[in-house]
Amino acid sequence: MSTETLFRRITDYAARPDPYPLYAELREHGVARQEDGSYLVGTYDEVVQLLHDPRISSDAHSRADVDEELLRAEADGMTPAFIGLDDPEHERLRGIAMRPFGPPHSPGRIDALQDDIARIAQELIDGFDGREEVDLVDDFAYPLPVTVIGRLLGIPSGDMGQLRRWTDIVIASLDFDPGEDPAVKRRRGREAGREMADYLGDLAASRRDHPSDDLLSALVGDPGPEGAFRHEELKSTAALLLIAGHETTVNLITNGALTLMRHPEAAARLRNDPGLMPSAVEELLRYEPPVQLLPQRSPLTDIEVAGVTVPRGAPLILVLAAANRDPLRFPEPDRFDPARRDNQHLGFGSGIHSCFGAPLARVEARIALTALLARIGADAHPVEDPPPYRRSPVLRGPRHLLVRH
Amino acid sequence: MRIVVDLNRCQGYAQCAFLAPEVFFLRGDEALGYRPRVSDDQRERVGRAVAACPVQAISAGPAAGADVD
Repeated sequence: MSTETLFRRITDYAARPDPYPLYAELREHGVARQEDGSYLVGTYDEVVQLLHDPRISSDAHSRADVDEELLRAEADGMTPAFIGLDDPEHERLRGIAMRPFGPPHSPGRIDALQDDIARIAQELIDGFDGREEVDLVDDFAYPLPVTVIGRLLGIPSGDMGQLRRWTDIVIASLDFDPGEDPAVKRRRGREAGREMADYLGDLAASRRDHPSDDLLSALVGDPGPEGAFRHEELKSTAALLLIAGHETTVNLITNGALTLMRHPEAAARLRNDPGLMPSAVEELLRYEPPVQLLPQRSPLTDIEVAGVTVPRGAPLILVLAAANRDPLRFPEPDRFDPARRDNQHLGFGSGIHSCFGAPLARVEARIALTALLARIGADAHPVEDPPPYRRSPVLRGPRHLLVRH
Repeated sequence: MRIVVDLNRCQGYAQCAFLAPEVFFLRGDEALGYRPRVSDDQRERVGRAVAACPVQAISAGPAAGADVD
């Protein structure tokens, strides 16, 4: 089949359980121009090179196909979060957000969350008692990270349901669903994003007078040398952290549980030696990354990639999950090896936009999968394999994972 | 236990400084500092940091850096 249709075939829902043969086809062609003028890259060296290339923009304004909806939202005063900006703005905003989250200013915040995360994981797992069948998504992998990000930011637990609804709409709006008018979907997504950002902005403002030990309080309370956020920046950053803290870790945990059930020997090894779990989590990030591809980039000038000229402004789609299985980089790339050494995977991206929440995701996945393996027996298995998947080809993972244990 | 970080490989992702904050720390926003010898009660955290380094610049254990001395 023509490589011009590869992206259409990857985003086709039928490919969701196993997109890897399509990624192999992509790697064979290096850079694949698509029928709509976008370019797909899936070889490791090229993806890494592009992730570190300052001529590659993450800013939607750099695209030739300008998103009218974005321009309307900006005319209304909304500002993009740092994931959609280039340096130096990206670095300034990410730096302000990092101040209360990690080193050098807050080195122990994630480390200090570990006991809390372990307790939440254990409470959810205790809920399995007396049930032969559990849904590892709804009963475990979803509530864990969502509870954690809610507490970290300082969101009242009673409001998390509303935030889930907004998040679902925003994530659906990023999707490539042929059945829906993309303009309508994007508008709906921006409206939900705006309502969420307004809510978070109001909540943060209320912390100014009543600070508590959470990120929102820190973000409104303690300006560092970089200065503080403007209110609109604070809103879009808080919304980004909340949304990115939602589905990605859910999928890491669910993909992890499914992979371990499909590889009983690896699961047995990890049961005997939980010290291997950090390395197993890295291998999961390579083997079944929760973010499969980065669809938002474009070159600021014509660039050459593996002998192909990608014109300025063309959508440039970096397929991390394809690069992660490049046989030129990883020996036996299709083998799941929890003890793999030399595992410089791209599960969290690389370069300046490398995942902000990676340290939190690592801690959550390690604790979640260790607790899960300790609870479900070696005979635990999915009721259906493959399980039903979420719609998104970008944030890929099972919608449900019914397990008999 | 001994710890050696190949600072030529280190790119300042700081994953180690999140996971073992008593061993690895940032000087300024990107330059990494670390304690080359730590007690065994840090073993688990250091092991997590070794696994999480995106460029695999950290080695740890009794023989770490033996070829450097």
